[in-house]
Amino acid sequence: MYQRSYYKRLFLQYCAYGLTLCVSLSTGLAEDDYLTEEQLYGDFAEEPTLVPDPLESVNRLTFKFNDFIYMNVVKHIAKGYQQVTPDPVERGASNFFKNLGYPVRLVGNLLQARIKGAWLETERFAVNTTLGVVGVLPAANRFERLQPLQSEDMGQAFGAWGIGEGPYLVLPLLGPSNMRDLFGLVGDRAVNPLKDSYSVIGDSNVQTAFSATEFAVKSPTVMRIYSQMKTGAVDPYSSMKNGYSQKRRSMIEE
Amino acid sequence: MSLRMKFLSMIACVALFAVLPTQADESAKLATIMEAALDIMYQDAYKDYTSVQRQDAVRAIVEDKYDLEVLIRRAMARNWSLLTADEQMQVHNLIDQLIVKSFVEGMAGQGRPIVDCGAVIEVTSKRIEVPVVISFPSGKTFNVLYRLGLLKTGWQIYDIVAEDISMVSNYRQQFDDHFREENGARLIEKLEKLLKKEVLDVSTIIL
Repeated sequence: MYQRSYYKRLFLQYCAYGLTLCVSLSTGLAEDDYLTEEQLYGDFAEEPTLVPDPLESVNRLTFKFNDFIYMNVVKHIAKGYQQVTPDPVERGASNFFKNLGYPVRLVGNLLQARIKGAWLETERFAVNTTLGVVGVLPAANRFERLQPLQSEDMGQAFGAWGIGEGPYLVLPLLGPSNMRDLFGLVGDRAVNPLKDSYSVIGDSNVQTAFSATEFAVKSPTVMRIYSQMKTGAVDPYSSMKNGYSQKRRSMIEE
Repeated sequence: MSLRMKFLSMIACVALFAVLPTQADESAKLATIMEAALDIMYQDAYKDYTSVQRQDAVRAIVEDKYDLEVLIRRAMARNWSLLTADEQMQVHNLIDQLIVKSFVEGMAGQGRPIVDCGAVIEVTSKRIEVPVVISFPSGKTFNVLYRLGLLKTGWQIYDIVAEDISMVSNYRQQFDDHFREENGARLIEKLEKLLKKEVLDVSTIIL
């Protein structure tokens, strides 16, 4: 008799537990706890994809021209450069040219009133140029306080001031840009003492050799970014346009 | 009796937590899948695999845990409704193949990267982000943010942001531009052509 009542009680307890579990589960997995179709697929306004492109037909032509040059000239320069240059030399050359971009980064920071950033760039330049043997070694990276900042330029400064992007542009050889960044690029060249037309390098042959070397050093990076945007793209032109715009917007926001 | 009840309570709790998708596990789950996909690319056991076999193996690993339709539909956005049901299925399959093909052929010739999945960032109770740092032997590192949303099927990836560029937004731009002048049938043609095409010959350029 005692045994029967024990099992009955046990059975009821199991039932109660099962019921509690079901209630818990149904509460835990209520409809409201999931993203709805509208939340998942209806946020078109949340991520604006439209890049103003009134010059699309001209841009597409320039893009085709650039693509031909990249795939038939720049790619081979990049491959050749990587084949003949040992990795440490390649890294050193890349560091050297990055260090020389200091005036552009300095002005980019100053125009955004980022005094701390401007000072840090100056410190990094001083350390890399001296301890880093004219910038070949990234000596500043060894100091915790002197870790690299996000690169700043005039286009970013204009963006931070609230100036709009303007129409999207594809520049011959240089690739994606927009009206604001084009003005920024002109400004960047003006403050860079190693670029035409205010270059401190007097001899035009030396200037050409310098620019050609800089181009070769940067070519693997250019090709890497180019290939990443192009690979798997249904429309490489649109992919590049969107990728460039997203990246610039993010740099300005930061 | 009291021990039995305790045991039952324990079982109930375990069952409850096993059913409810937990956020904290998502970083580990993502890391496991990424490592498994990289194994296909780099482990000796798969060295004789052709590119297509690798793609199939990687797709099987990814699709076992994630539903790529979420990513694809978000990328297609309003254009999804412009496709017929048959075209939707074809586009889904083709983009699915394209994503995996791009990954497999993009990794060819590169050294195995180290993947470091960071802690889960809770955006809302239904949206989380997992920051991932991918470091290549050459010293190059890439920051990738995986955005996941809670669906009835569990946590699903709804966007991948690589170096500040959202994959969904990027494809959405391409599809928006496409559908301004062309239709679904033409998109399918383009996708098929792209899949048949040899991938951009830049794999010899080390990252």
